[in-house]
Amino acid sequence: MKLRTWKSFFKQGFKNAFGNKTMSVASIVAIAAALCVLGVVMLIVLNLNYLMDDLEAKSEVTVFLDKDVSYSDIKAIESKMEKWDGVREVEFVSKSSALAKWREELDDKAYLLDGYDGDKNPLPHSFIIGIEKPEYTEDIASKAKLLPQVMKVNYSKEVAESIGKVVHSVRLVGAAVVIILAIIAAIIIHNTVRLTVYSRRREINIMKYIGATDWYIRWPFIIEGFTIGITGSLIAIAIITPLYQYVLNKLAGQHLAEGFFVNIFRLLPLGDVIYNILFVFILVGVSVGVIGSGMSIRKHLKV
Amino acid sequence: MIEFRDVEKVYSNGVKALSNASFTIQNGEFVFFVGESGAGKSTIIKLLLKEIEPTSGDIIVGGQSLSDMKRSEIPYYRRGLGVVFQDFRLLSDRNIYDNVAFAMEIVEAPRKEIRRKVPMLLGMVGLSSKAKCYPNELSGGEQQRVALARALVNNPSILIADEPSGNLDPATAEEIMEIIEMANRRGTTVIMATHAKDIVDSMEKRVITLKNGVIVRDEEKGGYFNEA
Ligand SMILES: Nc1ncnc2c1ncn2[C@@H]1O[C@H](COP(=O)(O)OP(=O)(O)O)[C@@H](O)[C@H]1O
Ligand SMILES: [Mg+2]
Repeated sequence: MKLRTWKSFFKQGFKNAFGNKTMSVASIVAIAAALCVLGVVMLIVLNLNYLMDDLEAKSEVTVFLDKDVSYSDIKAIESKMEKWDGVREVEFVSKSSALAKWREELDDKAYLLDGYDGDKNPLPHSFIIGIEKPEYTEDIASKAKLLPQVMKVNYSKEVAESIGKVVHSVRLVGAAVVIILAIIAAIIIHNTVRLTVYSRRREINIMKYIGATDWYIRWPFIIEGFTIGITGSLIAIAIITPLYQYVLNKLAGQHLAEGFFVNIFRLLPLGDVIYNILFVFILVGVSVGVIGSGMSIRKHLKV
Repeated sequence: MIEFRDVEKVYSNGVKALSNASFTIQNGEFVFFVGESGAGKSTIIKLLLKEIEPTSGDIIVGGQSLSDMKRSEIPYYRRGLGVVFQDFRLLSDRNIYDNVAFAMEIVEAPRKEIRRKVPMLLGMVGLSSKAKCYPNELSGGEQQRVALARALVNNPSILIADEPSGNLDPATAEEIMEIIEMANRRGTTVIMATHAKDIVDSMEKRVITLKNGVIVRDEEKGGYFNEA
């Protein structure tokens, strides 16, 4: 179709989209609301995934050895563990370096450990096993327990596992809520465009009888739905983006106050999520708008 | 060429509006369909527009059977027909000029062509001075002339008019007939449904008379007969 025809389609579509104020506002609010919920779900899932990746990178099992373990036993244990599935690296921590680490952690109270050097060192030798994926943790820990000369095995499986479960249910519930909201938004848009179609049914009928093609009649209504959809998307982006920035700032303030938080609750920066959000919002907004309006016009074209 | 072969139309409510209608109209002919209200005139026009489908029989226009026509071909078929509806069917939110231009816009006629032809057609129907008026500011006769201008603006090969002189005073009706006859002289096939006796009698054209959905008379240079 000609450029001029497209211009008239867009003019008509925009005019319709903003012509009936009440219905248009209702549709735009419905889309924006659905997308805001989608945005919150997306941000939670993205951040939990990020946190899980982070924890995966940090997954480790600590294996404490018997006091009287010999140098050759240590070597044997190390080479055995290195061959296990899911083991990323095996780091030996001698009892003296363990003591030094402890001293570091105690900082200005390090004097408490004075006199425990050398033979008086109460700490055992240990291995820190770096794990590829949290799924392997339990398996590796139980295998380590069965090794001779092993005194104790420490690992934290619960955190990673429960985050995995949370991500799963957030995704599920989120998807359900978003689908329901999207359907409601599509129905509202459908009704809005149907009102326009209804008020222009005479015109549509006349167009049909003087030889307008279906697409010639359809386009302005699709553009109306598209306009409503994209307006809703932009409003949702304008709400979600500053909201996330606000949460980031708030947490950053807390991080400064309570330094240790930093490692656990670090959120993805806005720059890392903004493109995902933009893409999904516009895609969902536009398709809901176009599908909603496409359904409204169908009936009236059958003449 | 337009051909009806044993066309029958029974509406969904069981009313038989047309039975065994067969006739042929050559290119460039001028044909009146006459008959009392309810005789089946509009039914023939709706069938021709493919607004409704025949219950049985064939309708062939320009060598193509309407029942074989694909949905996507219908708009292009209708572009070859100029139609004047009994109720005018003008767009109330557009002025007269835009109403006529609209018919050219939907077929994506070049803008230059639109600017040339719309004033020409409005001049032909004597409404140049009212181009900026809206339909509700015009009399019935004037609206009828706008509808006629719109029907003719795309140079249709067939002009179809359903009671175009319906509620018009004799003078206006005569004006409209003159314009239609002019189009016919330039080669446009004209099909007109009417129950205006004066017009039919004065024009001396082919007349097909319908009664209760049956063609009872088909005469060259016919007149309007009232079946007793
Ligand atoms: N859509 C319809 N549904 C049912 N019956 C109809 C319909 N249109 C017309 N009819 C009936 O068909 C008959 C012929 O109608 P029509 O073709 O409109 O006659 P005319 O135009 O000659 O007055 C009439 O009895 C009319 O009531
Ligand atoms: Mg009629």
